[in-house]
Amino acid sequence: MFKKVLIANRGEIALRIIRVCRQFGIKTVAVYSQADRDSLHVRFADEAVCIGPPPSRESYLKIPRIIAAAEITGADAIHPGYGFLAENADFAEICTTSGIKFIGPTPEMISAMGDKVVAKETMKKAGVPIVPGSEGVVKEHEKALEIGRAIGFPLIIKAVAGGGGRGMRIVREEGEFDGSLKTAQHEAEQGFGNPDVYLEKYIVEPRHVEVQVFGDQHGNVIHFGERDCSVQRRHQKLVEESPSPIVDDELRGIMGDAAIKGCKAVNYENAGTVEFLVDKERNFYFMEMNTRIQVEHPVTEQVTGHDLIKLQLRVAAGERLPKKKIVQRGHAIECRINAEDPANNFRPSPGRITDFHMPGGFGVRVDTHAYAGYEVPSYYDSLIAKLVVFAQTREGAINKMSGALEEFVVEGIKTTIPFHREVMRNENFRSGKFDTGFLDTFEYEGGEG
Amino acid sequence: MLSSQPSSDKRGALMDLAYVKKLLKLLSESDADEIEIEEEGKRIRVAKHPAAAQPAGPSGAQIPLNGTVMMMAGTPTAVPAPAAGPAPAVVEPPPAQNLHEIRSPIVGTFYRAPAPDAAPFVQQGSPVEPGSVLCIVEAMKLMNEIESDVTGTIIKVLVENGQPVEYDQPLFLVEKS
Repeated sequence: MFKKVLIANRGEIALRIIRVCRQFGIKTVAVYSQADRDSLHVRFADEAVCIGPPPSRESYLKIPRIIAAAEITGADAIHPGYGFLAENADFAEICTTSGIKFIGPTPEMISAMGDKVVAKETMKKAGVPIVPGSEGVVKEHEKALEIGRAIGFPLIIKAVAGGGGRGMRIVREEGEFDGSLKTAQHEAEQGFGNPDVYLEKYIVEPRHVEVQVFGDQHGNVIHFGERDCSVQRRHQKLVEESPSPIVDDELRGIMGDAAIKGCKAVNYENAGTVEFLVDKERNFYFMEMNTRIQVEHPVTEQVTGHDLIKLQLRVAAGERLPKKKIVQRGHAIECRINAEDPANNFRPSPGRITDFHMPGGFGVRVDTHAYAGYEVPSYYDSLIAKLVVFAQTREGAINKMSGALEEFVVEGIKTTIPFHREVMRNENFRSGKFDTGFLDTFEYEGGEG
Repeated sequence: MLSSQPSSDKRGALMDLAYVKKLLKLLSESDADEIEIEEEGKRIRVAKHPAAAQPAGPSGAQIPLNGTVMMMAGTPTAVPAPAAGPAPAVVEPPPAQNLHEIRSPIVGTFYRAPAPDAAPFVQQGSPVEPGSVLCIVEAMKLMNEIESDVTGTIIKVLVENGQPVEYDQPLFLVEKS
């Protein structure tokens, strides 16, 4: 097992990783920007190294400084968390050549899944159902329109280098196609430095269902069941749950097997998530694969009883995946508490938290780096806490979540807590009958929760 | 800042008077302000007087033991040592606005000289101007030369040769001219 792990991240996930390292007796190194000097992950780590000024580009994304920090502290492994450099193949490569174990997949796997077109091809070859679309990048408008007609409208134009909901444009009818294609290519160039786009059939009323997978260094690949992440605002997940209300044992088996097949095709190592779109007829289509641990991993932990971060460390250290069958029991829901104002179009709300009281009790878990007196910086994403509840049934979980949201006090800044309270009361959500369009028609009322 | 690990004396000679004399000599000859050592429940700490502005004595001067060295199990004891010897003497610091800190722009290991056997780039008293190379901070096998951004004189070297440094850590104190 590693002696010292450097966490190349911040916020709640950095704290999460430090906690797991503690359990193994592994020493921890935190890296931080000047804006995070008083952050909990800095305080709780054994050592801390300042790596730059507040902007991410100048700190958390500065590969040489992070590697240098690992060198001067003698860290033998780096955990990249999620976001930042977690899916940066160059970073994974540099770690390896510097003699530091990157806790995650290999650079080749990251590259393979990072290019959305290549990922689809790989999955298709492995026999995983994919969303019908162009067989690769489309460039000239004539040809693109031809392909578009073959796919059928509505369709969606996606950036090859995009992902996580960014770089996508829906085209509802043929008339809009040309203009949308031009715009999409331009946006892709601006946003990701790569103007390449491809076309996909737009699945109507889709649900976003993803499968948690894990591969070890001995060729074993298993899955931990699925998560339903359909409650999204502008393709950003807000509420996640496991199991998915529309997935029964049979479908779980089929989707899990498909996910495993895809992973085995690339000899996948460590944690990953295979994302699918599921339509009304419960047909599922591969969308993309994330080669990292995800924000919402706690809901899978609650229903399977496995600590996924711990497993990441074990697998990276060469251990084998558990042989015992992974069993799901009960129901877990996670609400992402963001420092945003739901009454004002979810405008970011950085600032000092003056009062902070977390809910608790049986089956209530809060992963957070926030505390009373903490100054939420404006430089990074707005996630300040993950509230996760676990109960025997979905109804029980929703009720428990409602109660926990009532107890959660965060003052000094605006948060999405009142918004989540309304989601939990919503009839469509409670019935389990919703898709990724759920929040498009959701009316946030505001006022007292 | 980086936390450092306390060193431990393998011979367990914490109570040895000769050992304590050695510590005092070591302290006076270095840029450090204090040394604290903990071993098997016993702790000893030697520190320079923070306010002392003693003139530099002859190099290699013997440090007489002042006062009694008291050591009790588990409690740290401060042993005052005169700030004599070749340690750089900060005589009456000049007005604050003339003092400028050169800070590290990167993370890495600090080296005072271009090579292990070469002379240091600068030392206390060296004149510098914008572009003067002051030191090297090594990161990922690359030697990065750190340059001065002001004209002046080096008042103090704040970091030891071979010490790890983090972003924005002060390296040199320069009196601007």
